Amino acid sequence: MKPFEYRAVHSVEEAVSVLAEYGSDARILAGGTDLLIELRKQNVKTPKVVIDISFIKELRGIESPNGTVMLQSLTTHSEIVNSKVVQQYASLLTGAASVIGSPQIRNKGTVGGNIMNAATCADTVPPLIALGAKITLKSKTNSRQIDLSDLFIKPYQTKAKPEEILTEIQFPKLSSNVKSSFIKLGRRNALSISRLSVAAILTQDKNGKITDARIVPGAALPVWRRVTEAEILLIGKKPSKELFTAAGQKVSEVMISHTGRRWSTEYKEPVIATLVRRALEMCVGDLKDLKDLKDLKD
Amino acid sequence: MSTVTINTKINNRKYSLAVAPNTTLLHFLREELGLTGTKCGCEIGECGACTVLLNGEAVNSCLVLVPQIDGKEILTVEGLAKDGKLHPLQESFMDHDAVHCGFCTPGMLMSAKALLDKNPDPDEKEIRTAISGNLCRCTGYVQIVDAIKEVVK
Ligand SMILES: Cc1cc2nc3c(=O)[nH]c(=O)nc-3n(C[C@H](O)[C@H](O)[C@H](O)COP(=O)(O)OP(=O)(O)OC[C@H]3O[C@@H](n4cnc5c(N)ncnc54)[C@H](O)[C@@H]3O)c2cc1C
Ligand code: FES
Ligand code: FES
Repeated sequence: MKPFEYRAVHSVEEAVSVLAEYGSDARILAGGTDLLIELRKQNVKTPKVVIDISFIKELRGIESPNGTVMLQSLTTHSEIVNSKVVQQYASLLTGAASVIGSPQIRNKGTVGGNIMNAATCADTVPPLIALGAKITLKSKTNSRQIDLSDLFIKPYQTKAKPEEILTEIQFPKLSSNVKSSFIKLGRRNALSISRLSVAAILTQDKNGKITDARIVPGAALPVWRRVTEAEILLIGKKPSKELFTAAGQKVSEVMISHTGRRWSTEYKEPVIATLVRRALEMCVGDLKDLKDLKDLKD
Repeated sequence: MSTVTINTKINNRKYSLAVAPNTTLLHFLREELGLTGTKCGCEIGECGACTVLLNGEAVNSCLVLVPQIDGKEILTVEGLAKDGKLHPLQESFMDHDAVHCGFCTPGMLMSAKALLDKNPDPDEKEIRTAISGNLCRCTGYVQIVDAIKEVVK
């Protein structure tokens, strides 16, 4: 690792004032599971100063103030997995955090780092966008809340300014009649980054008709977004294999309209369609266990 | 580049040291402290050979910047034995032939220790999850899982 100055900060106030001083010469260090790998690469620009925010106590923890869930940015993936609040009000996020990396990575990696690193394979992002999450970005002179879905420009690039820090992530609780799921397809079980993933949320009325649907694929589109083109196919209808298959095909079409056909399309086209169908089936309880996902032909 | 002063406890021994911030915990343990039990494999968080406990949680020491351990406690494989007696996990690994080349063993032991400290009665699935971030190229994992199960019994 090339030399850099190191500054440990102990409050958000201190963090933003050091960030204001150094601007784009600084890099924030949270869990370090992405940044340390980057700092060791030969061909990347080493920052002048690394600002270690990992000691900031106020940036830890999960709360659920009136109708919302609030994750502080340093919340680790392990803390998300073990959180009763997240399990109860956003179980698809529990599912996504539980398949990140390995226990070691989950103990260290943070949700804030996952978002700000902005890799297309970031597993917490599709569920958070499906949940309608908003994030708070703070600088010395300003604090703003934006939709998470508005943060990203392209892979590894966000609209956050160099002097801004992500402090919290907030989203409305899912009520108990709303069902959600997250499916990730990696090359193997542990330590595999997502080749493709899908976050889905479904609400049905008492007759079983779908009243709200949210579908966010991961690692499929240039920037994450809800695929409303597929969601509207579901509204007002009752779940069926044909309906969910049609929604899957729609997501696949949308993906290709963005990315064009390339070497991986032959694989991704049917796989994303199947993942969407299965994520929806998981929501309505037709598919209980990820073990059922083994055979992709079905 | 200036050094950073840290206070830490490693294997129950207190240290107050000036460190170069651009050092990983892995290199610090091996090269500054001579604790070479912690192994250096991939250095990108994938093999788990460098696993140590940071305040009781398993982490990859290759992904920890050494100043980040200020005020925290580290346990490495060298800290497992007590009063000259091996830890039950170490005994069990030997009894089950869970050590072949041995390169993965320190990391496996630390991941297993982290699990048992939190959950003294894990089932096989929980054991397999706990060591899912540790690669072993020799054993095929069966003996390792058996060794951990034996300590649970
Ligand atoms: C072996 C391995 C396996 C992995 N597997 C997965 C996986 O399956 N799924 C997955 O999604 N990810 C995976 N990752 C990636 C990584 O672990 C996650 O993205 C993690 O959440 C990053 O968080 P961190 O706290 O470690 O970030 P850091 O490395 O500390 O920071 C990452 C980036 O975000 C910036 N940053 C961090 N916090 C803030 C903040 N509060 N405000 C502003 N900027 C900030 C940093 O400056 C840096 O650019 C894996 C990584 C490794 C090494
Ligand atoms: S050396 Fe740290 S995980 Fe491989
Ligand atoms: S015993 Fe050789 S790698 Fe595990």
